[in-house]
Amino acid sequence: MRVVKGRTGNKAKRPHVAGVKMTDSRLKIEDDIDEDQDDTFRPAPTPGPGEHPLQFNYSIWFSRRSPKNTTYDQSLKFVASFASVEQFWSAYSHMTHPGDMMGHSDYHLFKEGIRPMWEDDANKMGGKWIIRLKKGLASRCWENLILAMLGEQFMVGEEICGAVVSVRFQDDILALWNRTASDQATTTRIRDTLKRVLHLPANTVMEYKTHTDSLKDNTSFWNTDKFI
Amino acid sequence: MSSASGEPKVQGRDIPNRRVVLNDISQLPSEYSTTPGGTFFSTTPGGTRIVYERNFLLQCRNSPLAKSPPANMLEIPGITSPAKPGVKENGDHSLKSVKEEKAKVSAEDAQFEMDI
Repeated sequence: MRVVKGRTGNKAKRPHVAGVKMTDSRLKIEDDIDEDQDDTFRPAPTPGPGEHPLQFNYSIWFSRRSPKNTTYDQSLKFVASFASVEQFWSAYSHMTHPGDMMGHSDYHLFKEGIRPMWEDDANKMGGKWIIRLKKGLASRCWENLILAMLGEQFMVGEEICGAVVSVRFQDDILALWNRTASDQATTTRIRDTLKRVLHLPANTVMEYKTHTDSLKDNTSFWNTDKFI
Repeated sequence: MSSASGEPKVQGRDIPNRRVVLNDISQLPSEYSTTPGGTFFSTTPGGTRIVYERNFLLQCRNSPLAKSPPANMLEIPGITSPAKPGVKENGDHSLKSVKEEKAKVSAEDAQFEMDI
């Protein structure tokens, strides 16, 4: 058993990258993160007067692949939690839109208490719908997706766990995670709602992948089940 | 149960309702969670699920409460604060409040412990 420490604990032990010329700007930016910040989970404030509470509290996480983040868990940063519509806008409006992000980066918007990891208790029996987007669409589609989630447009009870936008070299990928991969009525309803809120053409190929399969092949977006 | 023991029955209340007449199929809202004529209650029968339509959420974007960033938002250059001074909008603003909050919190890393 090995304990992987977070970045503050790793500071002194971080592998030295001498000899590697950091021409990639995303590496430089990653290095700029202030190591003394508190990147542990902080609960959302209780909504004050005049705020519109959400059905669930949510947390925003950010991850970016870099040579020094050897595991996904290490790259995952808690950004903020929110409990109301206003608190959501407060955080969202002060974050770079996914379409303007550089490199191999992801935003994760998950219900408070659920870590955006396959192994989390809420996720381990679940899976996700995947939508691959051409470059240029990510910011708009991500906003439509999370507004639908926050506003409880999916109508599948407690099934939704969270949403992810992954900025990659060739394309950008949206994913919506739910608790029970085997619940076909739920996954079908989520798929139909996704098509509606994202204004996807009727013939869009939708891909689903269970987290059990992701754990087996250790990939997020390969070997998916395709539905037309 | 209560009537058997002679106690007065709890008086029920009608669920408030309103009738909307549709003259054409096009007047049906496109969203499952919206009722004709606009969403009546923001809760659903059998529960108190809080439902918001996209347009309503977008209106709240302009709320004064949403104008400043959360006090304790993690500072990530290029993501929640400018990559370089003056590059991104709202930069100075968010940088300041994040820094203020930062002084109050200790940098513990329990969150990132895991067994592998």
